[in-house]
Amino acid sequence: MTTPTWDEPGGPLPSEDFRAATTAIMANIEQVIEGKSATVRLALAVLLAEGHLLIEDVPGVGKTKLAKALARSIDCSVRRIQFTPDLLPSDVTGVSVYNQETRDFEFKPGAVFANLVVGDEINRASPKTQSALLECMEERQVTVDGTTYELQSPFMVIATQNPIEMEGTYPLPEAQRDRFTARIAMGYPDPRAELAMLGGHGAHDPLSDLRAVADAGLVRRLIATVRDVHAADAVQQYAIALVTATREAPEIRLGASPRSTLQLLRTAKAFAALEGRDYVLPDDLQALAVPVLAHRLIPTADAQLNRRTTDAIVAEIVHRLPLPHDRNRSPYDTRNTGGAQQQYEPRGR
Amino acid sequence: MTGPRRLGLVAAGATLLAAAPISSIFDTWKWLMMCLLVVGLIAGAAFAARSLRFPTWAQAASMIVVLLLMLTWIFPSGHEFLIPTPSTFGHFADLFTQAGQDTRSYAVPVPDRDGLLFVTVLGIGSVAIAVDLLTVVVRRPALAGLPMLAIYSVPVAVYIDSVPVLPFIIGAVGFLWLLVSDNIDRVRRFGRRFTGDGRDVDVWEPSPLAAAGRRLGVVGVAAAVLLPLAVPTITGGLLSRLTQTGTGIGNGTGTGTGGGRINLFASLSGNLSQSETVELVRLTTNETTPFYLRFGVADQLTNVGFGSRSPSGSSVAAGMPDPRTGNAGGSYQEFTADVKVSDRLNQGMLPIYQNTVSVDGIQRGWFYDNNQQVVYSNRNSTKELEYKFTYVRARYTPAELRQAEPLAPDDPIVRLNTAHPDDPTVDALVARLIAGKTTEYDKIRALYDYFSSKNGFTYSLSTQTATNSSEIAAFLKNKVGYCQQYAAALAWMAREAGLPARVAFGFTRGDSREGNTYVITNKNAHAWTEVYLRGFGWIPFDATPSAGVRGAARSDWAPDTELPAPTTSSSTATAAPGAEASGPAANVERPDRPDLNEPGLAGSTTTGETSNLGTTLLIVALVALFLALLLVPALRRVLLRRHRYAATVPRVTSLTEAQAGRPDVVVTAETTKARQDAHAAWDELLDTMVDFRVPLDPSETPRVTAQRLIKDAVLVDQSAAGATLLGTAEERARYARKPLQGGELTAALTQVRRGLARSATRRTRLTAAILPPSVLLRWRVALAESSTKLLGAGSRFRDVLSRFSPRRLLTHRSR
Repeated sequence: MTTPTWDEPGGPLPSEDFRAATTAIMANIEQVIEGKSATVRLALAVLLAEGHLLIEDVPGVGKTKLAKALARSIDCSVRRIQFTPDLLPSDVTGVSVYNQETRDFEFKPGAVFANLVVGDEINRASPKTQSALLECMEERQVTVDGTTYELQSPFMVIATQNPIEMEGTYPLPEAQRDRFTARIAMGYPDPRAELAMLGGHGAHDPLSDLRAVADAGLVRRLIATVRDVHAADAVQQYAIALVTATREAPEIRLGASPRSTLQLLRTAKAFAALEGRDYVLPDDLQALAVPVLAHRLIPTADAQLNRRTTDAIVAEIVHRLPLPHDRNRSPYDTRNTGGAQQQYEPRGR
Repeated sequence: MTGPRRLGLVAAGATLLAAAPISSIFDTWKWLMMCLLVVGLIAGAAFAARSLRFPTWAQAASMIVVLLLMLTWIFPSGHEFLIPTPSTFGHFADLFTQAGQDTRSYAVPVPDRDGLLFVTVLGIGSVAIAVDLLTVVVRRPALAGLPMLAIYSVPVAVYIDSVPVLPFIIGAVGFLWLLVSDNIDRVRRFGRRFTGDGRDVDVWEPSPLAAAGRRLGVVGVAAAVLLPLAVPTITGGLLSRLTQTGTGIGNGTGTGTGGGRINLFASLSGNLSQSETVELVRLTTNETTPFYLRFGVADQLTNVGFGSRSPSGSSVAAGMPDPRTGNAGGSYQEFTADVKVSDRLNQGMLPIYQNTVSVDGIQRGWFYDNNQQVVYSNRNSTKELEYKFTYVRARYTPAELRQAEPLAPDDPIVRLNTAHPDDPTVDALVARLIAGKTTEYDKIRALYDYFSSKNGFTYSLSTQTATNSSEIAAFLKNKVGYCQQYAAALAWMAREAGLPARVAFGFTRGDSREGNTYVITNKNAHAWTEVYLRGFGWIPFDATPSAGVRGAARSDWAPDTELPAPTTSSSTATAAPGAEASGPAANVERPDRPDLNEPGLAGSTTTGETSNLGTTLLIVALVALFLALLLVPALRRVLLRRHRYAATVPRVTSLTEAQAGRPDVVVTAETTKARQDAHAAWDELLDTMVDFRVPLDPSETPRVTAQRLIKDAVLVDQSAAGATLLGTAEERARYARKPLQGGELTAALTQVRRGLARSATRRTRLTAAILPPSVLLRWRVALAESSTKLLGAGSRFRDVLSRFSPRRLLTHRSR
């Protein structure tokens, strides 16, 4: 049996089956991460959107736990890389070693040859090592010594990083950040969830009890279902308008890439599917704009001085950008026919 | 040249431009030469004073001194050399008095009279000083428009009906020039002009920032031009034009007065309204009961009223016709009269009695117009003139006059003296009054008798001068006026009846009498009607109530209409010529009069009532129209809602399943309809929200809008469910493959509306019902868009024009 490639994900699922499968996965994860259903749903949406997830938060809020719980819930190959300063690219991608028996070089696959790759504390590795992920994350292949190896499907990198600790860390390069579909923050649990956690975790680690509720084949079919979700022209225009607005916002030095537009719409489709819809709403895009777009942007020096985070800037854009209409303009629509361009007049260029 | 000095010169130029309206007052351009000189020297004085950095008071003083010197130089009294002396000021006072007299006795355009020129130069010079001070010293050029407007008010006061518009435009251009210069000066003091696009802009180049100002200006000018058209005024307003029944109103161009000649009507009203009593003529005659002295006639009736033809004739010395030859009847008696004119009567027309046959003691240069029966001169004046004339007093009995035959229609007298404007009211009145009258005399008597107090006519000096035909018609309606209205109205009505008629001007017999000498003052100035009867000539009829006229006289062919019985007429009318003539003849008239009066009275009141009723109806209609216009937005809203409700009524539709395989957007007739329904319902919901002042956010999705509506407007139960349903329907119609079908959208809309009304204040509810903000907003947006489009077109046009501007070729000015 040949390994299914990424482009042959299998047939889409009927909506009932899709709902059952996704609900099961989410419920499974929530056994470990209490009171974070929105985060869990977002993480699952990224998986179904064939993207990669960057979990960024302070230590001890359950970043690694979320990653591991997601990996455990799906019965597929999971590899974990602990990024340390002395980690080498070959540790990630794999290396060719000389086999004395066959008297030939033999490829030893690295940690990325799995369905789910959990990269812990990714910003502790040197940029050289971080860059080893570039090819595999975008192209889902690894080239070592001129030989290209396809990765498995589904393939997802879940990385965690700590934004506070600066000592001994290497911030992710832009190209690397752009390959992550979404960056999510865990946030502190609410007191009730924390209390429940104390009760549960006091006795044993719930992670060890976690059973897989899906396998790679099911995930592929889920992904196929997500691909079928309908995005109306107006929604696509809205996605473009959002991304364009980040490029033209005066507070942002580097806007979102075209790749981000694609990933935004894909994630929105997954998000819509998780809500039981077969069509994307602008609401989905609005909900996803901050996690999907904010980590790619580079604010201007002024904005940094003003302590304006990219999250806040994107949230403001979402708040201000009018919806596109696929029909005649409403009289209450005060914007000009030029659309989003009018909102952010390029200044100082 | 620095700003203030340059502005001072502009102020002088603007003042000269603003003096343009004076040109319609004067016959020649001599005044302009004087004003140019005076204003130029005043500006020069100010320029010099500013160059020498004099303080403000010294600048003002220098201008005043220059004005005084110039006035002394131009209008010298003869006793001084350039420096004004007390006698100069005495002379100035004389000039003032003379100007006052001239304004009363001359019609526009006036000749170059010293007094008038003096007042003009003094006025323009003062305005020049005021404009200069306001513009340069106070830096309020807008206020300088007031003195300029004062100049324009002169022709407005002089011309009763219409004022030439061109001089006003010239004056306005001067004012605008002043404003523009001042603002340019202001902007220059900033240094560089700020335009917003970071580029140095030339002084004359329009700034992009000025667009708002231009827009305001255009709106202001449009409002100023259009509003007065709608506001009712005395004559010219659109509303009053609509309410007036007459069609004979219009602005004719012919005034009928020759250049430099006296406007008889103006002179008459000037004499009567003068506060002081001045002796004008002292007349001694051997006739015991003389009639009125006359000197002029107005025999042209056009839309602008009665006016005079220029008289023409042969020298008095060549002899004057004798009325006794060739007349059909009447008794004639010859008398002589000595006349001594005082220095206050200064005119080119000789006061004489009718049917004068010879005049002695006057110089050459006096001419007799046989048609108008006036003695006139273009050169000489009656001032301090003493002369003697012989005249024939004609007396007719009504019976004699009744024999007068109608004139042939092509007779020159008929042709010249029966032209009149069309006015249906006057037409109807005359037709009613002369109904059944066969002879010419009976017709004119019927008309003459109409002007009695029994028909509601009252004598009052304090009315408008009746020079305009519409004012004569108004007099017939208001029935309040004095001699010139009575005379003009009777003449018009006689013309309407086909009788040649004209207005004669002159004096009554005077108040006081010393033996055979009558003293005639300005209060005795009078006007009456003359009617031509074939074979008898021009017969005077004085319709003015004798009570109102000092020294009035009546004849027995035209007895006083106020007197109750003709039997007493012979005794009361002793002063009248022919008083000793037959009473029985007057007796014959008597039975007619009540008959005549009654219908006349009834007729006039009904016309008054109908016109009142018409005005009331018009006002009611206007109010109703206004209310209807107020209701238009509400109506529009209701219609819109109806339309959308009709669109959203659910109908039984078969749900078409999406095809198996890869489903795409379902496009069938049903789904298209469902989408349109959802959109219509959503539009209606948005409009309802706007009506109830729930804010809209263009960045909100339908789902969020519905949720916010529920939260903000505290919708509960059904209305909340309705809002959610509407949101879902719109969301699916916009974004889903298959729209929501079969939803009870109309019911949901009703529910939401009800819920909104429940949580809104009373005022909001009322506004939503009567003046729905959604409709108003829509209209406002449409208006703004179209005006933007218009402005855009305008600026494109300007760009095209600027391509051809020669200013572009100038090198850039460095500042």
